[in-house]
Amino acid sequence: MAMRDLVTGGAACAVPGTASSSNPLGAFANAILGSSSKAQEIKGLPGAAVNVPGPSSDFRTEAPLTTLPGLENEGQQHQQPYGQNSEFLSGFRSADHGVLGDAWNEVHQPPLHIRGGDTEARFQEFEQIYNRGVPPTWDGPPQGVLSRFLHSFVDSGRAGVPFRPAALPVLGLSEGDKQCIRDRSFIMAHHIFADKNEEYINAQVNALLHSLDIDGNQRLKGPMRGSYPELEEYWTESQVALRPGMPNFADKWVSEFSQQRESGDPEAWARSFEQQHGVNGWASEFEQEHSQLASIDQMSGANMYQIAAMEQSRMLANTLAQNTDPKFQNSKFLQFVSKMSRGELIVDENQIKPATSSLTDDWANEYQGQYNAGPSYWADQFANEELSRGKDKWVNEFVKENQQQGSDDQWVNEFSKLHVQDWTDEFGKQVAEGAFGESTADDWANAYDKYLDEQLFTSKKRSNASRGVYEFSDMNPYVGHPNPLREGQELFRKGLLSEAVLALEAEVLKNPDNAEGWRLLGITHAENDDDQQAIAAMMRAQEVDPTNLEVLLALGVSHTNELEQPEALKYLYSWLQNHPKYGALAPPELADSPYYADVARLFNEAAQMSPDDADVHIVLGVLYNLSREYDRAIESFQTALKLKPRDYSLWNKLGATQANSIQSADAILAYQQALDLKPNYVRAWANMGISYANQGLYEESIRYYVRALAMNPKADSAWQYLKISLSCASRNDMFEACDTRNLDILQKEFPL
Amino acid sequence: MESSLKSAALLEQMKLHLATDAGKELTSKVGLVYQLNIAPKKMGFDEEIFVVDLKQGKVTKGPYDGKPDATFSFTDNDFLAIATGKMNPQIAFMRGAMKSKGSISAAQKFTPDIFPKPSKL
Repeated sequence: MAMRDLVTGGAACAVPGTASSSNPLGAFANAILGSSSKAQEIKGLPGAAVNVPGPSSDFRTEAPLTTLPGLENEGQQHQQPYGQNSEFLSGFRSADHGVLGDAWNEVHQPPLHIRGGDTEARFQEFEQIYNRGVPPTWDGPPQGVLSRFLHSFVDSGRAGVPFRPAALPVLGLSEGDKQCIRDRSFIMAHHIFADKNEEYINAQVNALLHSLDIDGNQRLKGPMRGSYPELEEYWTESQVALRPGMPNFADKWVSEFSQQRESGDPEAWARSFEQQHGVNGWASEFEQEHSQLASIDQMSGANMYQIAAMEQSRMLANTLAQNTDPKFQNSKFLQFVSKMSRGELIVDENQIKPATSSLTDDWANEYQGQYNAGPSYWADQFANEELSRGKDKWVNEFVKENQQQGSDDQWVNEFSKLHVQDWTDEFGKQVAEGAFGESTADDWANAYDKYLDEQLFTSKKRSNASRGVYEFSDMNPYVGHPNPLREGQELFRKGLLSEAVLALEAEVLKNPDNAEGWRLLGITHAENDDDQQAIAAMMRAQEVDPTNLEVLLALGVSHTNELEQPEALKYLYSWLQNHPKYGALAPPELADSPYYADVARLFNEAAQMSPDDADVHIVLGVLYNLSREYDRAIESFQTALKLKPRDYSLWNKLGATQANSIQSADAILAYQQALDLKPNYVRAWANMGISYANQGLYEESIRYYVRALAMNPKADSAWQYLKISLSCASRNDMFEACDTRNLDILQKEFPL
Repeated sequence: MESSLKSAALLEQMKLHLATDAGKELTSKVGLVYQLNIAPKKMGFDEEIFVVDLKQGKVTKGPYDGKPDATFSFTDNDFLAIATGKMNPQIAFMRGAMKSKGSISAAQKFTPDIFPKPSKL
């Protein structure tokens, strides 16, 4: 029963008197009704004149009489496809500038003009759709399947393995799809060649997710799978042929995708949704209805053939519904098929008629159709229809929305905008409203708590440092070094701060009472933009050498940075107290709980005593920062800079103050001065990022954060800020790289 | 130095920040009023109340005159952790480190990117 039958059936329609097959649909109705004898008759009319215009004549002359087994209902599919097919083919030929055509030829032996090959391919495709039992390799959790699948098709694309012809007829179903694919590849080509332009990358990711979207549906659904993966495969292959850079990209695509999936959020959501709402509960309800309706069915005496037809067309409608092309969605064919599937149209004596039976009959038929197919069929159906429209689609949308944040699809958007954990809010609300059973809510809460604990593990670890406990690095290569202090000083001078940290840690491990080791370690951490470690190290230095002015100032500065005013004030006051020249100014009774106003007054006195002492002006500047009198702070630092123009940390202090008083442009100039003096000054790089971010220039800020992090991957606050900037710049695609602290990816993506 | 809260320092910076172009963009983008009840150590005790008005682009001390879109309670440290991106607001909420009243959608727009980042000396 091949296309040939149909076409010749169509031919027969031109012959008056062959009433039994008055049109192509008649042939297919024959098929449906199992009147194979008629079909045989028709087959016996070779060379009958064909009135069907266009390409069908090719079918008449070329199509060999191949009988594909067991496909009584195949005809349905071929009614429309061949009409579209010509469109597709001509479209394909017109785009025939080498590659696409080659691909086509490669796939089709014998070549293009023999359409018979095409029809066969088409049949094979549909055969696959219908005869597919358990799909061969794709099992396991959906995300695993997906990522494996993507890898496999990338591999096949790279190796230039020709793919199954089956892919093409599906392609042929929609011209619009092809258009879409072309558009996408255009975008991606831009991505590859225009080297990381933000918009293009965004578009690329969206497009990518769109296609994965489709795949995602395919994977989760039983009988329908296959068509789109093949399409993707074809697409990738043609892309490989078109653009040499493609495999490279595809790799990235895959890794990006698997990252996305590994994050598991949408899946997790879907699972808990299922848990809560109970797919099964739903199912059993549905089945109950079945059994009730079954009795009605029996009475109505529904025509089994019609039911079979409906069932087939329903499946077909589902297949077709996969196609997201709006043009196709509105096509008459699809409408026809879906009408068929709903029983609004019935096939009666080779005629298509609007259903005449009552509405209840239709319903009954439909239900019986499903009922007869047994529960497994129902499950498939459910998976196809309900899940694709409900959960799956939602999940996919969620994933997609995560990436773009653009549209105003209120809830989904809001939800995804806040990313990972937001659903918990919504969920929590529903739990509170008693939407779910208590026990499940508890389970969920426990699971979530566990997750949170894991998440907070690192921050807990870090909070040690904020309490002043120094965190040593694991695996320090400088342990055992004969003179780590010397080495550390040398490294510090060279600007290799992270290395210097290791050497100095080795030093203070060896000589825990070496104040200079601790002090330099603290300074290094501060320059490396890690105030908490700086504070911890400086506190150890201060224990050993309680009157070291540099240590006291550094502690004051770091606490100021951490917005810890009382502590900062305490250290700055003890700086004054311990100063050989100004110590006399500071009454000891104030040391326990210094008042800001008093301290400021005393420092001003000191500055008047010796206006040429840069250090006093520096401390004053810090003090004014503490009280947020930024103008005065800037003045103090500028005064100090006149005395010490080559102090890079002073330039940074000036810049930071200007930034905090929203003079970001000036701040960037000051940071630049600092960086000219000390190119590896991580703190200044990070501050640059902050300044750009505070001006709303997130893309810029990302580059500076990444630069800072490349020099010190342990700067936690820079990682946090980076993530915020990524989110503001709608670069959620880089979240994974940020969360896993993958600097390779980030540096590649955001070169400075 | 009227308040010894770290949050006060950040909110002071926010006051200035809202006058910048980036800050104005924020008001047009978010356009909501948040009331923050910030406790120095333990949630609910000795709270200082701030209003971050992203409708008019102001930060004020004291309760909001009217109904804020969302009200949050947290400790000084937790607020700072949220505002600097150290802690996700959702996690804070789930752990009870943050309480919120008012519209959920308004609460969901309460993200670290609305706060300026303090630069470091």
